[in-house]
Amino acid sequence: MAERKQWKWAADPSLNKMEFTKLEKDGLDVIEAIVNIYSKEGFASIESSDMDRFKWAGVYQQRPKDGHFMMRVRIPGGILNSEQARVLANIAEDYGRDLVDVTTRQAVQFHWLTVESLADIFDRLASAGLSSFEACGDCPRQIMGNPLAGIDPHEVLDTRPIVAELEKFFLLNRDFSNLPRKYKISVSANIHNAAHAQINDLAFTPAKKAMAGEEVIGFHVWVGGGLSAKPYLAKQLDVFVRPEEVVKVAAGVTTLFRDFGYRQKRTHARLKFLVADWGPEKFKEQLMELVGELEPGGIDLTSGWNGGYFYGIHEQRQAGLYYAGLSVPVGRMNAGELNELARLADEYGDGTIGTCNTQNVLIRNIPEAKVAAFRNEPMIVKRFKLQPNTFVGYAVSCTGTEYCNLAIVETKERMRSLAHYLDDTVVLETPLRIHMIGCPNSCGQRQIADIGLQGALVKTSNGMVEAFDIYVGGTLEEPQFNRKLNARITVDRLGPFLAQLITLYKADRQEGEPYWRYVERVGLSHIQAQVDAILQPA
Amino acid sequence: MGEEKAESYLYKLEAVLEKGRLLTVVVIAQTDERAFSSAENNLLRHTIAPPHIKELSLVEKKPLGRQGVGYVVETSTFA
Ligand code: HEM
Ligand code: SF4
Repeated sequence: MAERKQWKWAADPSLNKMEFTKLEKDGLDVIEAIVNIYSKEGFASIESSDMDRFKWAGVYQQRPKDGHFMMRVRIPGGILNSEQARVLANIAEDYGRDLVDVTTRQAVQFHWLTVESLADIFDRLASAGLSSFEACGDCPRQIMGNPLAGIDPHEVLDTRPIVAELEKFFLLNRDFSNLPRKYKISVSANIHNAAHAQINDLAFTPAKKAMAGEEVIGFHVWVGGGLSAKPYLAKQLDVFVRPEEVVKVAAGVTTLFRDFGYRQKRTHARLKFLVADWGPEKFKEQLMELVGELEPGGIDLTSGWNGGYFYGIHEQRQAGLYYAGLSVPVGRMNAGELNELARLADEYGDGTIGTCNTQNVLIRNIPEAKVAAFRNEPMIVKRFKLQPNTFVGYAVSCTGTEYCNLAIVETKERMRSLAHYLDDTVVLETPLRIHMIGCPNSCGQRQIADIGLQGALVKTSNGMVEAFDIYVGGTLEEPQFNRKLNARITVDRLGPFLAQLITLYKADRQEGEPYWRYVERVGLSHIQAQVDAILQPA
Repeated sequence: MGEEKAESYLYKLEAVLEKGRLLTVVVIAQTDERAFSSAENNLLRHTIAPPHIKELSLVEKKPLGRQGVGYVVETSTFA
């Protein structure tokens, strides 16, 4: 066991209970216990105080709590290679009942793992340069990025080395393994906000600044974003950060969170609460006290938001090379499909695969001469489509009751079938993003969806029926969270209800007007009136 | 390993009564079904004439494992 840090907050008696658990033994120490004890002696041997620490190994108990675990694997910046993809596929096949989920933060998730399998899984991941460590827990999680980094015509610099440096700096770094709460970083130089800056704790977005007569490309810095029950958009600090300063600034922000973040109440511990209290001005001052003087902000290079979608075949920055954005409905695939994706990446591209925060994937570096054959691959035609139908293509879903202990309703399968139903029922040529979640924690990022669906259970004369609350108008284009309508729709009516609501939008919208903008133009009360009319008993 | 441990949750339910009156009910239960029936019992205890519940929904559950788990219930403003 590594030497334990003496943290200055250790003397505070008002810390929450989890803080004492973390002080008693660092979260990262559980990895050793899993490898040396629990994976050999089984589920019953797990010390109850260590169960919470399993998260630092990237492992969580799944529902029902019968000894099975889910595991999240970090895919830094959302880029992996075919060899890593095969290792992931094999783990899913050997231990995870053939199930692979791509998450809303570009990580990969397994289910059905037993504690006995964990040591071998850690080894296999390590052999491929992958890790599940700190993919959950109160520490720097999976780093979100631009899955097109290095090849993106819409990026102003290649962020791959920066993400790699950040990953190297933070992963297993015991200076930062005891944060007040989870901590999410996003880095992207894509000008369309590919990595959802405003909903991360710390985000870097592209910027430029004239300095000493020279134009420097770098980043602006956002702090304190997050969703869950009390969503909050990150605030921009008035600083300009050169690429080589990103790690230093990230270390500074993380140190502020570690040392000044609130540890009395877990529900008030995310960075957003500190940022809301201090405001960006004070935050900037405190940051500069730690990392030294920083340049004031320059010119923002972000324009608009691509939603994290990249469907189709597109030219890369490199002439003659193309990338292919593919649809993985609600992010779920099996091991065979992931292996096939690895084969496609090797055969047509340069062997790299991107994971998108929309739960989709992409293949990079396809030479022009191979594009036609790629399009005709059965897997591309039938399964991971280049141009999915609108609703299947823009549907996102959390895990739901299938595996999640906090879920109130089933989500993933339901979102998939709902999207198919809508595609069969309403013809819409423009994207309409629907996100479904099973409880207020919002893993499926309900708040930024055009239409957000949040589960509830309703008691009827036929017993309990699953239902959804409807939220409309979320976007990161002009960042705002969607707002709740007064409508709790039981699942038997959900499809027809949404079909009607969307048909009304289709009739009323102006040329090319996205749903969130339409909501803003016509107003929430107008939509509520439409909802009331739809729900009026005939 | 073996059967599922019976874990208790703190449930939050919403009851819509006549005239658009909305009540939030918080109960401890081990299953969603029991949360509903406990909520109904609590609503009964809370009123002299049985309330006409137009809609009862379960909207959130939190495991009771940790001290201090709770909900904020928004009611009316008095300003
Ligand atoms: C066993 C399954 C899961 C459990 C128990 C779980 C639990 C949670 C909880 C408790 C939160 C709220 C955290 C907070 O208050 O800050 C949360 C948020 C979140 N989770 Fe999950 N989660 C699960 C699966 C997933 C999956 C599958 C994804 C990705 C598809 C995911 C991605 C996220 C994201 C993006 C957030 C929003 C965080 C934020 O910005 O505040 N989670 N999750
Ligand atoms: S949103 Fe809720 S139900 Fe869905 S995976 Fe997250 S915690 Fe579970």
